[in-house]
Amino acid sequence: MLLVKFAKTAALLLACAISLILGISFGPAGFIDFKDPLMQTVVLDYRLPRVLLAMLVGASLASAGCAMQAFFRNPLADPYILGVSSAASVGAALVISLGIGSTWNIVISAFITSLIVSFTVYRLGRHGESYAVLLAGIAVSSFLSGLTAIIIYFSQQSAHEIIFWIMGSFSRAVWQKIWLIIIPFFIGITYLLLNSWNLNAILLGEEHARSVGINVERFRKELIAVTSLLTSATVAVCGIIGFVGIIVPHTMRLIFGEAHQRLLPSAILFGATLMPLVDLLARTCTSGEIPVGAMTAILGSPFFLYILKRGL
Amino acid sequence: MRLEIRDLGVELRSREILKNVTLKLEEGEILSILGPNGSGKSTLLRTIFGILKPLKGVVLFDGKRLEFDDIAKIAAYLPQEIPQTRLRVIDIVLLGRTPHLSGIRRAKKEDYEIALNALNEVGLRGFEERIFDELSGGEKQKVMLARLFAQEPRVMLLDEPTAHLDLSSQIEVMRLIKRRVENGCSAIIAMHDINLAATFSDKILMLKNGEVHRAGKAEDVITPESVREVYGVDVAVRKIGKSVIVIPVAKSSKNGIRVHVICGGGSGAEIIQTLVEAGYRVSAGVLNVLDSDWEIATELGCEVVSEAPFSDISDENHEKNLKMVEEADFVILANLSIGRGNLKNLIAANLAAKLGKLIVVERSEIRSRNFAGEMAEKIYSEISSKSIIVKNESEILNAIRDLAGRLPKGRGFVN
Repeated sequence: MLLVKFAKTAALLLACAISLILGISFGPAGFIDFKDPLMQTVVLDYRLPRVLLAMLVGASLASAGCAMQAFFRNPLADPYILGVSSAASVGAALVISLGIGSTWNIVISAFITSLIVSFTVYRLGRHGESYAVLLAGIAVSSFLSGLTAIIIYFSQQSAHEIIFWIMGSFSRAVWQKIWLIIIPFFIGITYLLLNSWNLNAILLGEEHARSVGINVERFRKELIAVTSLLTSATVAVCGIIGFVGIIVPHTMRLIFGEAHQRLLPSAILFGATLMPLVDLLARTCTSGEIPVGAMTAILGSPFFLYILKRGL
Repeated sequence: MRLEIRDLGVELRSREILKNVTLKLEEGEILSILGPNGSGKSTLLRTIFGILKPLKGVVLFDGKRLEFDDIAKIAAYLPQEIPQTRLRVIDIVLLGRTPHLSGIRRAKKEDYEIALNALNEVGLRGFEERIFDELSGGEKQKVMLARLFAQEPRVMLLDEPTAHLDLSSQIEVMRLIKRRVENGCSAIIAMHDINLAATFSDKILMLKNGEVHRAGKAEDVITPESVREVYGVDVAVRKIGKSVIVIPVAKSSKNGIRVHVICGGGSGAEIIQTLVEAGYRVSAGVLNVLDSDWEIATELGCEVVSEAPFSDISDENHEKNLKMVEEADFVILANLSIGRGNLKNLIAANLAAKLGKLIVVERSEIRSRNFAGEMAEKIYSEISSKSIIVKNESEILNAIRDLAGRLPKGRGFVN
């Protein structure tokens, strides 16, 4: 038993390391070669920050998705489906179009809008059937995506800009963005890891969580804040990337089970493994670069439908 | 642990849900709360547990008021809904330890031991690694009970723990609760099943529209009257040992038509049952206590003029019987045996015959069942000349319908 558990964890860590190595080894400029000074610059200034950013974003989205699925008791809940990502992109686009788009302003604005939308979607969806929250999220997120496009259109940014916010990409990864996301990332995952026990309780339903003495009202507010923080930080650095919050936790559930003491760390690791690999595919499979959000959507939608078919 | 609730009032969205609820619970006691949907059972449990704040009144644990965080350490609450989750059984049972873990919650070795013991207690040792969603309904509820036990509560608050369970699981769950209570705990259980509540509880509290309608021992609280007042249905209540059983009775009163049955010695049992099922208000008399007709009539909640066992009909009871005959819309004289002791019943029937509302059931000749001499036979023939004679229960119903003018005047049923 213990051996199996250990082997699973070791395999996951190994996969994560391989993902990092592959990510910095390949790219349009060719295979890694440390003797070449130009290649050194490419690796250190472009590939490494890009891969690290992808890892942080993947881990953030996976853990946010994991927490949302417990909190909404819905296997299809995730920052993208529930419109939290779109909300963050509206916030980001707003400050950019107003010309006050300093990096911290972007993060704060994105955080505030996603917080508002998280609470709204929760209020709309909490009393209905399990699909009520999904429908609320989808409606809100379409509305917000439209809003983002309009804001950017009137601020006379290029179409490429719009695509960047609606279909995320790591193409502008720089070290500065890593410093931007790393604080929200650590706050978010630390909070979630420390509250794995309570996440298990909330998975049984709010009344059951209360019945073991958990202050559900406070925990709910904290969870909404933390998932909004994780999501808005990812959107601020790379735009909207969907479905990672669904694919990663569900794959990990199959291997590590439902209990968050194991599920959450494994989802963080696997998110950090998967995201750079998808990004690698996005930037190497054609001569140009496909937005990574498009790749995750193509991978994630069938996954989404599979879970839908299996039953909510 | 002693639980005391004084004058509790709760409002939800400015609607009064509980009014002046007062109750006391000692250690080792099970209190069942009965009442229809929306009577405030769940609200009462949630208020005791501290989830809802009362508008007025107090909940005292050993005389002390406690905050929500502290209540969970001594009281455990089982919500009604059985969760859906793919968590393992052990993960769920361990959640019972939550109030006892502070700071970053992690199960220690001793918590595992308590959880395993709790699983043992409900007979599910070996289920630790099973997925909750893959268990049967009964097993799921037993896992939830184990979670409750792992919390090591002094007071258990359970919201319909037997809902949606099959009979054997219902009984098993109630036995587990009872055993836990006997080992130094107490329980308040919101219930729908009156029979189960009466069997397993020391006290019953009936709620109606958020107010305590009646409280006390099962036999005092559960009566046809209280059930009618609280649930609005007619039932018969039968005592078995120290428990009571509630039997539903068909919806009463066909426009309140009253039928009085003169019977005895088992001659009236089927008639009474048929009439009650058909929805008539049935009374019977005079019957000796413990006579088989008397048992049926009282079980079915009929008004009965009772005489002491094996005694002759007293003048006083005869008067009562005559009064009932007068008040009844129809009177039925069953195929009873006549002796000196119950000759007065025949006189009562004669009154009914004179009033033109008697139906006589004649299965056997009067000669074969008359032990009161010629006098009785004479009265009987006088009675039968003025009444409708029928042979069985369905003919009784037809005769009543005819007389009541419900159906077009039929033929063939009435001799």
